[in-house]
Parts: sequence; C-alpha cells; structure tokens
Amino acid sequence: MKFLCIPCDVKMEVQTDGIMPEEKQNLAMKFKCKKCGHSIAMLTNKFETEFVSKLGVEMGGATDVSKAPMAAVSSSLAQAKEELKATNPEDDLIWTEEAEQRIKKVPFFVRGMAKKTVINFAMEKGITTIDAKVMDEVREKVGM
Amino acid sequence: MKTYEDLEGDGGSNIIGQVVELGEKLRTRLDKIKYKVALMSGKGGVGKSSITANIASCLADRGNKVGILDADLNGPSIGHLLGVGNDAQLDMKDDGLEPGIGHQGIRIMSMDMLLKTAETPIMWTDADDATASWVSVMESTAIRELLADTNWGELDYLLIDMPPGSDRIDNIRSLIPELAGVVEITIPSPLSQHIVTKSITKNNKMGVPIIGLIENMATYVCPHCDKEGKLFDGEDVHKLSERKDVPYIGKIPFDTRVSRSQSGNLFYKEFKDSVTGQAIAEAVDNIEKFTTK
Repeated sequence: MKFLCIPCDVKMEVQTDGIMPEEKQNLAMKFKCKKCGHSIAMLTNKFETEFVSKLGVEMGGATDVSKAPMAAVSSSLAQAKEELKATNPEDDLIWTEEAEQRIKKVPFFVRGMAKKTVINFAMEKGITTIDAKVMDEVREKVGM
Repeated sequence: MKTYEDLEGDGGSNIIGQVVELGEKLRTRLDKIKYKVALMSGKGGVGKSSITANIASCLADRGNKVGILDADLNGPSIGHLLGVGNDAQLDMKDDGLEPGIGHQGIRIMSMDMLLKTAETPIMWTDADDATASWVSVMESTAIRELLADTNWGELDYLLIDMPPGSDRIDNIRSLIPELAGVVEITIPSPLSQHIVTKSITKNNKMGVPIIGLIENMATYVCPHCDKEGKLFDGEDVHKLSERKDVPYIGKIPFDTRVSRSQSGNLFYKEFKDSVTGQAIAEAVDNIEKFTTK
C-alpha cells in the first residue's frame, strides 16, 4: 500500500518515528509528504492488522526484533520460557513492569518499531527508566 | 495524478523484501534436509504421534539422521515420547534455536519445549479477547518459525507430526512445496476410517503425494504369547485403500509395551523383533522405498 500527496503528486513516506500502535492490536502509521510536509495517518482495526501479521513481516521495515529466531513465537506466546524471550535485543534502558506490559500488548509485527520509537525518545531526553509516563509522552509527541 | 506503478517501492515497510528474506531463510534450512514426510490422521487418538516416534526410531536405527517437527501445537507429545522434558534448557544461538535431542539422537522441536511449565497451555496473548483469526494467524506463523528457526542441521528425514484433522496441511504444503509425501494413519473403526477418507480426498485434490495408509491398532498382541486378537470392528482397511487408490503400507498391531516409550527407550528400539516392531519396520520399508525412488 502506498500513499500519494495529491496536491504535490509525490509519494508520501512512512514515518518510522511516528508510529505508536494502539494496544488492542489496532495500528496507526504516519505518512508524510516530503514536499509540503503534510502528514496523514493510516489507521487499521485489529482484524486488518491480523491479516498483515500472517506474512511475518514488520510494518515500517524489518528490525532486529523481527529478524531474531522465533521472534513471533517468543514475543506473542503468553507464557514462554525466559531463555526464549531473551532473543529480543537487550538495551541498557530500564523498563518498568508496567511499561513492559504495555509494550508487550503491541502486535509483534510493529513491536520493534514501537519499541525503537520509545527508546529514541528516551535517549534524546536522557531518560534511563522507561515507565508508563514516558510512554504516554511518546504517544503525545507522535500525535497518536 | 500518479498511479501505483508510478511510485517506486512500497509504502515504506519493504514488505516484499521481508517476505523474500523469510522465504530464503526457510529455504536455506530446508535444503539441508533430504526428505520431508508428514504423518496425518483424520481423527485424533489413533496413535499418530506414537507411530511417528517409532518410525523415527526405525529410520534412525537404520543409520538415518532424523528430526521430528511437532506440528500439533496444542497437543504436543513428541517431546514426551522422545524423552525431552519441558524442563530442558533451551539453547538459543544467533542463527536459530537448537533442537531437543531425543532418544537415538533424534532431533525434535515442539511447542512443549518452549512453554514455561509442562502444564502451560498455548495462549497467543495475555489479553482476554484474542480472536479466533488471531489464534489462527499465530499458529501459521509459529509453524513457519519452528521450521525455519530450528537448527536442524543436515538430516535424511524430517517427520512432521501433524495435528488431527486436515486443515494444517495447507500451511505445511505452502511452506514445504517439496514435501516427499504424507502418511495417512487410521485405526480400523468405521469412524476413524470415515474421517481419514476426508484427509485422503483433500490431499488428492491438492496434489499432495500420499505415501500410503497405515492401519494402526489393527489387532492386539499378547505380550506373553504373541497371539493376536481383534480390537475394533470395522470395514477392512484394505478396502478403503483400494477404494481411494492409496497404497496400504502397514498393519500395526497394538502392543501394551508401546507405553514404555514414555519413560524409557522408544518401543521400536527395544522390541524391534516383536510382531509390532516388525510391522513398524515394514511400514518404514515402504516409506523409504517411496521417498528414495
């Protein structure tokens, strides 16, 4: 799926830092026209996102999260062994339990991008612990 | 106004590139495996997993390198049968998860190995409103990952222990187009034969090669005197095989000692000279003949 800015007649580009999926498997993706700067958001319901997920791909492009072995199983299985979950790349930031739970609710195929958005935000601000408040700020910042 | 073709690339996610990459990863893994064989039944409870484990045992006994993918995600039993408990430590490498090593060096991958405890069911979300379509999507994705992300290494045979029913074969067929074939398993009961007929019909329609039909629990063998007795009343399974034009490749009697495989060696390894052991070997002869022809 591609998006065209009609006034400029140019392709709109996906904003990898602008994605903040809703927690109930809804997806929100931001696209921006490079020429005029106009932004739009593509919003999908959970049934639509489920079909995308069957391909085993990540929206916004593959990340280390989706390339890791057993990525989908480890991130989606409700009660997987800890060593299986350790396949996700580690970062130095501390995630509170509540923040971990919130990021876990993001569908796996956009989780990498969502996590990266939160991490980038935290690093820009010099934040070392990611909690629910930080995640709310990210959501506010990206406007979704 | 520009059209879809005028705009280069896709929406920005490189979906096609990602799908190609996933396909290549799977292909690299499968290319190291000579023969992939799925074992199916229509009905549950016909001893499919037990037959799969013992066919693997016989193949391994003949010098083949064998692996088993437990595709029965919600009723996994291969780990239990092969002696790889749920408490086995997972060995995750950068390029994949190491398979469990069961009796006779048989490599296995099963959802049971990935769950926190032996009593943990498979749930694809903590949320209480998981939709049926989400569960179905995740099961297909899980099968792909279990196949592609397990370090199977070089294998002669990868046996796929399918769940009851015939729905998962669509999934397996699309992931493994070079599937050598399927083995259909039934017991003599009319109900089991009725259901396995549907599975045979579906595979014929899909063009999936059928190696043959195994009649499990065909008789009961007394462990003391080796005398055989009837276990089920039903139509002769030979007739079904003739009607559906599927080779009848094995008549396997029930032997109470099969249950020993749950705690010790696999039945075939220990009792290969028994009536049931020889019947398993005969079925394996037919499978090898079919796959290596």
